Amino acid sequence: MTSEALAVDNRHVPGSISTAISHVLMAAALLVLTGYLIIYVAYAVNLMQFPFDYDQGEGFELVDTIMFSQGRLPYQNTNEYPFYSSNYPPLFHIMAAPFVWIFGPAYWYGRLLGFLGTLVTAAAIGYAVWREGGHRWIALASGLAFLASNTIYHIGPLFRQHMTMVMFEMLAVLVLAHVNEVSDPRRRRWMLALGIGLILCAGYTKQLAYATAGAAVVFMFIRQPRRAIAFGLGIALVGGLIFLVLDALTGGQWFLQTISANVNEFYLDQTLGLYRLWFSLHGFLLVPAVLYVLYELYFDRLSIYSVWFLAAGANAALSGKWGAGDSYFATSIAALCVLSGICFARILNQRLGSADHALSRRAKRWIIPLRGPLTAVCMIVIPLLYLGYGRAVLHMPTDGPVFGPVASALGLEANADNGFYDSAGRIAGGYADIGHLTTESDIAAGWQIVERVRAAEGDVLSEEAAFNLLAGKPVITNPTQLLNLWLNGQYDATELVTMIERQEFGLIVLRAQFFPTEVLIAIGEHYEQTESIRMNGFDYLLLEPRNQSAET
Amino acid sequence: MSKLFSRGYSLSKRDLGILLVLGGTVGLVGVLAIDVLDAGREGGIGPSQQAALAACVGIVLLGLTLIPLGRDPA
Repeated sequence: MTSEALAVDNRHVPGSISTAISHVLMAAALLVLTGYLIIYVAYAVNLMQFPFDYDQGEGFELVDTIMFSQGRLPYQNTNEYPFYSSNYPPLFHIMAAPFVWIFGPAYWYGRLLGFLGTLVTAAAIGYAVWREGGHRWIALASGLAFLASNTIYHIGPLFRQHMTMVMFEMLAVLVLAHVNEVSDPRRRRWMLALGIGLILCAGYTKQLAYATAGAAVVFMFIRQPRRAIAFGLGIALVGGLIFLVLDALTGGQWFLQTISANVNEFYLDQTLGLYRLWFSLHGFLLVPAVLYVLYELYFDRLSIYSVWFLAAGANAALSGKWGAGDSYFATSIAALCVLSGICFARILNQRLGSADHALSRRAKRWIIPLRGPLTAVCMIVIPLLYLGYGRAVLHMPTDGPVFGPVASALGLEANADNGFYDSAGRIAGGYADIGHLTTESDIAAGWQIVERVRAAEGDVLSEEAAFNLLAGKPVITNPTQLLNLWLNGQYDATELVTMIERQEFGLIVLRAQFFPTEVLIAIGEHYEQTESIRMNGFDYLLLEPRNQSAET
Repeated sequence: MSKLFSRGYSLSKRDLGILLVLGGTVGLVGVLAIDVLDAGREGGIGPSQQAALAACVGIVLLGLTLIPLGRDPA
């Protein structure tokens, strides 16, 4: 008889009072987490109706998508007009490209894809917890906890590829979790191929997925070193071939734009601040997840979820790079929701580990007599942990007919733009300021900028692509990519600076001023600010050629 | 070594412990070697290196605790 079977046979049946209290608390926890789902849906729907950049850089994702829909690659030489390139792999944009054929350039479908990706990830988390732990309410809470995270909420419904990467990572981990136990060789090979395919999809959605690829190889190596070699070679060969083809098709721009340009300066303080934020928001689930990893390490077999969690948590250290932020923790948040869920479900179902060494035998001798009272305590504590998590991640609009009264009842006051409360506050060490809903006045301000772009003579140099796209003007540059390259000594600004000196742009629109310094100096010398329009909490500076302004 | 790559072989907790000790030690030497190899670097062992060194020491200690657990599958 296995130890798990023993555990089931000797399972302690908790008393009716503790069961009743547990059910009430669990219902309360699920209610709170469902409330966050409603807030998340409201945010996603709001953003899908907003026709401009919400988070800086979304517009350039749209430009990449448009280029792919036209059969063009966005990995171009940034030293030459129109100075445009992308620093992201192609899959997310290829997925969105059919929408361009049907609906033309728009933000909503990219945001819809990101949002749907988070829902798929949440469902996969719930399924993983249910499969490993056999507890449906904990499975449901785990999936909802992922969507309730401030980080996932912030970036989920954006026109960005990060959450689609996390979706592919989660699906890959789900497929590979039990691949070694599949006895039918044909089925096992198909599952391995599917796992490799999903990991490659994640990697060709965003480069950061390399950590998940590494975690999968390490897990395979622990379970079956021989099989891990074939698995690792499969990823390397197919992934490497795609890489070489893209590099050849773009004359080396693929490597320069997606790899070299992403080696940015590292700020340790930013990383430490974001780790602190990660802990303060997710600590109620993070601590159980860490304890469960230790439990597996000593008293059971290491699962792919644990290896993945460790890899993702370590990889989040890269959040200190210039241009990075809290999104780098999204994979680890998915993993911690899975692990904490499995931990809770196994505790509630009294499933003991399979290890059979002196330490585990001693631990079992100690814990089996205490199983009854411990389970009764855990039945109360586990829902309380989810409630505590719900309090830690508190975020919601403080205005409006639905959210306003709820916020008042909770005594919340807005601490972010447009009447929004966010326990994450401003992102530690970073510069992102998102999560609030957009308003009609934001949309009106955006169209005002579009009209100014449309009225300008000739090309317009805009830090965000939407204004040019909606005004029917060509998109010039991807400023952050120019800055990335420039910081790495790989961008020659001569041609762009010359155009600015000749005042060839009828209008320049700045927001965060993420251009190389020499470009900003040229703009400062040859253009002057004539107007400032506030949209979505940011001041957009409109600059015109100096002489032309003087005449008007 | 041939046993490690034989069909059906799975790492034990002891194997994993040894690999963690080896990996952590290599990492420890590697992080310290940055200052030796990159002789022009100033400032000694910086905060990022200190964090990496602490992580490597942690991995070595974790590995040492796994070695006594023997043939139990990792």
